[in-house]
Amino acid sequence: MESFLSRYRNLIVLLAALLVQVIGLAVQVRRPVPVAANIPGGPAVHVTRDGRGVLLIRLWSASLVMPFERAMHGSSEGLNWLWNNYVDLRHTRDENKELKQTIDRLRLEQAELREDALQGQRLQDLVKFKENYAYQTIAAQVIGTSGSSQSHVIYIDKGSADSLAPDMAVITSDGIVGKVRDVFPHSAQVLLINDQTSGAGVILETTRIRGILRGNSAGQPQVINILADQRIQPGEHVLTAGGDQIFPRGLAVGVVERVAKDPERGSFINVIVKPAANLQHLDEVLVITSLDAHLSSQQQADLATSEELKGAEAAADAARKKAAEEMEERLPGLKDPNAPAAAATTPTKIGPDGKPVPAPPVPPATPKPLPALHPDRFSPGAGGGAGSGSDAVTGADASDSSTDDSGTEKPAAPKPQPKSAPAKPNGSQPASKPAPKTPQLSGRVQ
Amino acid sequence: MPSLIPGYRRDLEIRRYPFYIYVFVPLAALVLQAWLPRILGRFAYMDLPLLVTIYFALNRRSPIHGTLLGAALGMAQDGLTQGAIGVHGIANTVVGFLAASIGIRIVVENNVIRMVLNFAFTLLSSAIMLFVIQVMLGLGWQSNWIDEVIRAAGNGVIGLVLFPLLDRTQIRD
Repeated sequence: MESFLSRYRNLIVLLAALLVQVIGLAVQVRRPVPVAANIPGGPAVHVTRDGRGVLLIRLWSASLVMPFERAMHGSSEGLNWLWNNYVDLRHTRDENKELKQTIDRLRLEQAELREDALQGQRLQDLVKFKENYAYQTIAAQVIGTSGSSQSHVIYIDKGSADSLAPDMAVITSDGIVGKVRDVFPHSAQVLLINDQTSGAGVILETTRIRGILRGNSAGQPQVINILADQRIQPGEHVLTAGGDQIFPRGLAVGVVERVAKDPERGSFINVIVKPAANLQHLDEVLVITSLDAHLSSQQQADLATSEELKGAEAAADAARKKAAEEMEERLPGLKDPNAPAAAATTPTKIGPDGKPVPAPPVPPATPKPLPALHPDRFSPGAGGGAGSGSDAVTGADASDSSTDDSGTEKPAAPKPQPKSAPAKPNGSQPASKPAPKTPQLSGRVQ
Repeated sequence: MPSLIPGYRRDLEIRRYPFYIYVFVPLAALVLQAWLPRILGRFAYMDLPLLVTIYFALNRRSPIHGTLLGAALGMAQDGLTQGAIGVHGIANTVVGFLAASIGIRIVVENNVIRMVLNFAFTLLSSAIMLFVIQVMLGLGWQSNWIDEVIRAAGNGVIGLVLFPLLDRTQIRD
């Protein structure tokens, strides 16, 4: 027995090592959990849900490698800084000149963009679409990869100490990247969307077809289990659908690169997607820690500035409106004769019994003639103009119009009224009291 | 072929290395394997932990040593992925055992032989991983053989530089 062990010692050790690992594989591999209702009417897609726990070997490996990764990342950043700030300073003056020109150009563009931003803010108020703008996020640096071509994962320098948790969405400004899978104290493993074991609910922007995004064997993300549809064309944008409870709705995923038939099911197609984010060269990413809307202090300051600018714009509108009203007063022909201005300003008459006397019905007024620039005795409304019969009004009219203090507004009365002011002979008459705005004139459609 | 058969005692002796080399070199291989793809992207055609396994197995000429080193490094590699732990482990275990067994029988000082061995062992490792992933785990293979051949060639070229550097660290009598 002893000779057998010593003779085949190498082989026994090999078999033991292999046996242990095979048993380990058997323990790790679980039956896929069917996830129903991926597609209405389509087959259920089997995916393996991630385990909540982290394997000890994985924890050891990450703990062993990640500190060095972090140190190498930091040292490379330091070397880059050293190079950029001390060594590579040639042509700095020229660059500075160009940059100043660029700043001037950007300032002009910024002024234009500010107007666009105001318009966008108004639209935002209309649709109340907050989800696309504000989430609680944490910026993280990519410090490593899996080092294996069979595994599309990256490591970031934030972990559970930074409130990261599994299944948090990881994005860049270009589009989604993946989701947090395993979280360690100061690092986390992110499963990219082009991995075969990943999954994200997506929707095609134009055709509104929903599907599940996952990586294929070539490391490209693809939307699987889609019924063949001729409308799907290359170039169509793919967005997150928001139903997977990981990625918020409406984030950019990529564009359709091509459509391939599902080799296993003829009636289904796979839509190969070119990811919006550059998954091969990721440096900084954002981890969405909460889907609740949250405005940072900077965002709040921007919002206050926008509101201020919006107020300034409203003040400018009011000033323009006031100028228009003044112009309207100077051009009485533009006034609406049917406006209830006079009636509104007419004081209620009190009868002998002390009760208010109802005003007689006012017939529709005729348009008033324009006042003469240099009035004389022939001018309408001039004192003693008894022959101006065309301008004579009824007694009711006269009594109504007599309430107006303005001499220009008041037509000539057939008989003198004690309380009516005499018309001034010259043209330097005081401006008439502005009438209340009519809804047609005052209301401005925003 | 006589040049491949060890004719001297010097060729059969076990190469020994300082303890820190056994710790530092595998660790550096793991760290670089995880870090370099960030810079090289998909052009990171290399498998440094496998190269380290092959080197120590060839030079230690101990199948047990090669087996255990391959298993440890392979499982550490698996620990950095999201997949099942044991895929790289099984492949590196077999490669470590075979490399040590071959190291006993042939002279491995020649650079051409080293390059050929690295190329062949890398392809063998890929084949074993394909078997484990597709047959044992029932998953899809995420690579193609052209990439694997290029990776094997990359390992062969890197071995030409790495192995002489590691030779300098061995303890000499």
